[in-house]
Amino acid sequence: MSKENTKPTVQTTGHAWDGDLQEFNNPLPNWWLWSFYATVVFAVIYWVLYPAWPVGRNYTKGVMNDITYTTSAGKTVTTHWNTRAALMQDLQAARERQKPYLDQISKASYNEIAKDPEKSAFAYSMAKVLFADNCAACHQTGGAGVIGLYPNLADDDWLWGGKVENIEATIRGGRKGMMPAFGKRLSETEMDDLSEHVLSLSGNKVDAAKELRGKALFEGSAGCFACHGKDAKGQASMGSANLTDSIWTIANVPGQTTLEGKKAEVKKVIFNGISREMPTWKGRLSDTEIKMLTFYVHELGGGK
Amino acid sequence: MATTTTPANTQYNYDIVRKFTIMTVIWGVLGMLAGVYIASELAWPFLNLDIPQLTFGRLRPVHTSLVIFGFGGSALFATSYYIVQRTCQVRLAFEGLANFTFWGWQISIGLAGISYVMGYTQAREYAEMVWPIDLLIAVTWVSYLLVFVQTLRKRSQPHIYVANWFFMAFILATAILHIFNNLAVPLNLFSLESYSLEAGVQDAMTQWWYGHNAVGFFLTAAFLGMMYYFVPKQAGRPVYSYRLSIIHFWALIFLYMWVGAHHLHWTALPDWTSTLAATFSILLLLPSWGGMINGIMTLSGAWDRLRTDPVIRFLIVALSFYGMSTFEGPMMSLKSVNALSHYTDWTIGHVHSGALGWVAMITMGSLYHLVPRLWETRMYSTRLINIHFWLATTGIIIYIGAMWVAGITQGLMWRAFDDYGNLAYTFVESVRFVVPMYMVRAFGGLLFLSGMIIMAYNVFMTIRQGKQEQAEVEAKIAAKLAHA
Repeated sequence: MSKENTKPTVQTTGHAWDGDLQEFNNPLPNWWLWSFYATVVFAVIYWVLYPAWPVGRNYTKGVMNDITYTTSAGKTVTTHWNTRAALMQDLQAARERQKPYLDQISKASYNEIAKDPEKSAFAYSMAKVLFADNCAACHQTGGAGVIGLYPNLADDDWLWGGKVENIEATIRGGRKGMMPAFGKRLSETEMDDLSEHVLSLSGNKVDAAKELRGKALFEGSAGCFACHGKDAKGQASMGSANLTDSIWTIANVPGQTTLEGKKAEVKKVIFNGISREMPTWKGRLSDTEIKMLTFYVHELGGGK
Repeated sequence: MATTTTPANTQYNYDIVRKFTIMTVIWGVLGMLAGVYIASELAWPFLNLDIPQLTFGRLRPVHTSLVIFGFGGSALFATSYYIVQRTCQVRLAFEGLANFTFWGWQISIGLAGISYVMGYTQAREYAEMVWPIDLLIAVTWVSYLLVFVQTLRKRSQPHIYVANWFFMAFILATAILHIFNNLAVPLNLFSLESYSLEAGVQDAMTQWWYGHNAVGFFLTAAFLGMMYYFVPKQAGRPVYSYRLSIIHFWALIFLYMWVGAHHLHWTALPDWTSTLAATFSILLLLPSWGGMINGIMTLSGAWDRLRTDPVIRFLIVALSFYGMSTFEGPMMSLKSVNALSHYTDWTIGHVHSGALGWVAMITMGSLYHLVPRLWETRMYSTRLINIHFWLATTGIIIYIGAMWVAGITQGLMWRAFDDYGNLAYTFVESVRFVVPMYMVRAFGGLLFLSGMIIMAYNVFMTIRQGKQEQAEVEAKIAAKLAHA
């Protein structure tokens, strides 16, 4: 039996329900009562300091708690404490910390950014967030892309050129990748021969006779050379792929183990062609932001 | 009970209590199963299986509706109908109407679950049911009110027991909340879609006025009613303080209605509304603790029974979690803390310390007291009650621990700046961090679900045992009559 509950001074209320249900009439615990009063005092102080009670169509604004902040447009505002002003103040503080760096970067060349450890560290730190917000949805967080859909930015192979100017132009203006579909122009055998040849370019062992016929098509009537070049090394000016390295962005050749599987992948591309687009970021990002992003993407893979 | 002169099962309407009790257990298993599945989807996304009906977005309201309204709601119907009869010493009023509340409620929950899976939702949290289901619920709820009030009115006890005040407040407030939050204009009579009557911030405000009072009146006041009956009954001791019960009851009822806006800090909601919600949440702390103190002090003469009586264990752990969540809640409602905690998994952890720790544990304890009395037998296995207790308690602790770590880290990562004033982390980095926590959480939930399944088995076997015993008694009587 508890000592406290059975003090002889404490009586029950005298009622009983359902046989044995009764209630003691203990007083309110003192610590409980005083703690409750303390929360009341806390609430009242809070109401005095912060916007709290509606009065007509207005409300009490709180005292000794004004907030002054400067908007991104440069306007200075002083207002009673409110959560929006608190956020604006936070953003202002971040802007002010970023500003000296942004000013320097907006004037600096890519070379200057790369050579100055402070500038490049800042550009990297901000572009990492820009990349995550704007680019990672397609190119993935690390820039590795998705084969068949989005190019890999983390390797040293560049469809549209890997120099900073090329990368900046890509971000600024977007790109339209296009290869016509040959499914209706070429016969099944021709596409088969062609894929043997394409695979041979990057050192795959293929059927010599078929490869030879494919080579003739590539450099002749099928017209592949017009974009990919006679040497099949591609042209950055039109974004045509280099077929002689072992890097594949559309056909998932590395994912196949047999020659038949690899051929099927290449044939699919020849049959269907390619049509894909990267949107333009001009207008969505500022010039300085595009500059930092360019620097970041250039660093990400082996930039040229 | 053995001492009553008229058999309780004929004096009172136990049939309705039994039906709701069985549904409590069934919805409990199904709702918690849905919970464990969606928790696993977050940890292992392939579990979406590319089937739209199984995706997190559709199953999440299934989980919340089944556990809150199916499990919790049925438990409240069962216990309130049991308690009001026993403490008023009168049979439940309007037997037909009471039966209607059973079918109305069960059908509403069934339809709600099916409609969510099919993609029909009002997109109001904890009130996702489309308008025709809302109408059925409204009619059911008003019937509940009539049954309850009429039973109170014809009581043969001069005073109304404290548990009934809480049930009364819960029924009235829920009716008001449900009706006002679901005011909507259907597209047309044959469409399940509707437009909310309010728009913008007023709409959000109405929704969270409803949302938090669903916590306050449905998940708190009503379960306190349960506590005020089953704790003194199981402990065999009087309630600690009548005065405390009056004071904390009225304080709770008055204060809860103000606090919903703390779900909308740092949004388009005016700051004065936000402030009132935060301060009233702080004011609510001690009144909430009043209920916890009253419960724990009532048990305090029976500490020795903690060793032997697993039901007392459920009740004391429930009260402890109630105290913990009602401390955590007001803290999270302060704007500065909320700036860190909002939109993180900390909120999910907080909800579950209340929902699993308080609501489910008090329900389970009460049911273990109630079931043997309803079927006039003993629980089939005390050992299984003990196992259930440990599974549930361990499960909750793992769950909440994982969500604290996940939530607080998310909050810190999202707002961390580096030395240059740039964001230090990308969003996906915070996602990568929480995935292992999601796995731990799913495991905690699995433990809790296992306990619930064991309870279902134990209850099923108890009912079977009760029926067998009754059949034996009847056979004996028949044999005696035949001899005479």
